[in-house]
Amino acid sequence: MKLFKASCSALLISLAASTAFAEISVIVSASNPNSTMDQATVSKIFLGKAKSFPDGSQALPVDQDEGSAARETFNSTVLGKSASQLKSYWSRLIFTGKGTPPKPSGGDAAVKAIVANNPNIIGYIDSSAVDASVKVVHKF
Amino acid sequence: MKKISALSLLTVAISAAAPAAQAGDLNINGFLSVGASMLDKNDAEIAGADNQGGFKQDTILGLQVSKQVNDSTSLTGQLVSRGSDNYSTEAAWAFVTYSANDELDLRMGRLRIPAFYYSDFLEVGYTYNSIRPAEEVYRIPFSSIDGVDLAQRFSSGDIDGTVQVYYGRYQGDFESNGTVYEADFRNVTGISVSANMGNFGSRLSYNQGELNLGSPAPTGTGLAVAQGSANGLAFLYGDSSAAEDFNISGQTSSFIEAALTYDDGTYSVLAEWTAFDHETSVLLDDQAWMVSAAMRMGEFTPHVRYSTQKDEFDSGVEGDIQKQFGLEADESSITLGLRYDYDSSTALKFEVQNHDEKTIGGADGDSVTLYSAAVDLVF
Repeated sequence: MKLFKASCSALLISLAASTAFAEISVIVSASNPNSTMDQATVSKIFLGKAKSFPDGSQALPVDQDEGSAARETFNSTVLGKSASQLKSYWSRLIFTGKGTPPKPSGGDAAVKAIVANNPNIIGYIDSSAVDASVKVVHKF
Repeated sequence: MKKISALSLLTVAISAAAPAAQAGDLNINGFLSVGASMLDKNDAEIAGADNQGGFKQDTILGLQVSKQVNDSTSLTGQLVSRGSDNYSTEAAWAFVTYSANDELDLRMGRLRIPAFYYSDFLEVGYTYNSIRPAEEVYRIPFSSIDGVDLAQRFSSGDIDGTVQVYYGRYQGDFESNGTVYEADFRNVTGISVSANMGNFGSRLSYNQGELNLGSPAPTGTGLAVAQGSANGLAFLYGDSSAAEDFNISGQTSSFIEAALTYDDGTYSVLAEWTAFDHETSVLLDDQAWMVSAAMRMGEFTPHVRYSTQKDEFDSGVEGDIQKQFGLEADESSITLGLRYDYDSSTALKFEVQNHDEKTIGGADGDSVTLYSAAVDLVF
């Protein structure tokens, strides 16, 4: 059984590698005091269910533009929803004034620049674009 | 390279100029549903359709404008124009929200009564699989009140949810058995609690209001006739005091709802049960419930729904009198549908609904089939 499980996960890993999912990093500003966050915390912030970081400071998520590869991977992996499901989720909140979705703010470079300059903002970019201006709090 | 740094400088400048993200932004959103429907024969009444085909019953346009005034206050207004109402435009929502903190919102103005699972997004067809909510269950003839509400969000471990309490008044049209009355429902109040854990969700609501009907109560059909004949019948049954139970004004009606949901991304289920309890015997108490299930397969979502509603008589002389009115109904529907997500903001829907009126107006009814198609979008 153990062997089976191990070979299954090995298969999954190799599958994931072979379909070439780029690694995505969830980032905050280098000046943000929060360190690692788990998937549930990141998911809650991006779905508007949590409005602050673990240390209590205000958290403002920014999205990548619709159609970007990073956005699709982030939606399906971290949020576990398709683009249509997310649209439906946010429509239920928008039309009751209960929430607004994270703002689409460009691609890797633009999101990194916005995040680096504001300790309240959290975003995600392709791991290859990470530099010292931002801090990685979650990777997948 | 130069271009990129210029662009990122620009975005930095923009984000620095507006550090509180969306403060000051005017958000404009909207939704549009365009539908067509046709009944096989005119022997029963469902979704306002007939056997000549119609394009306006399911057509709805909504436009919403919202503005974050400052960190804690926002304004939201939503205008809705419904084909079923000859496209007359109404403010479905118009309210100011004050966020006391991250978890507590106070809203004031025109608000939706949170009586049903779909109440918040009742008219935004894009957010659900079917073309319209189950008519047997979604039967409160008005959906908004003018008042205040308080919403407290909570989160503990894997569970998150909202408790909402509201209070207000409804002044407007009230339709009962084909007659439109001028209504002034006071002290409309209630509570709804919803909680989600993983793929499961649940919801409970209790709602009540005090009925006051203006003209044409004395001489019209329906309620006025029922009220008038109740006096005579009470006398015949030898219990004149029973007639008082048929008064309408000042009587309280209550409505309870319970819903369970499951959604694992592929399979989803919604079960919702509701019951009306009227203090006045002119209106019949009833129960209605529905169960729907759907399977998401990429862009295609086939779904099925069963919905039913049944009126109930009061006990004793009041019940005997109610039986003479011939107002009771016992009806159900089976709906088969397919949703196709054309893109991430447009859905095409096709539905076949068999609607069976076992009893209608106190007599045996008929069964009809409704064919519908719709395009729903959000923007």
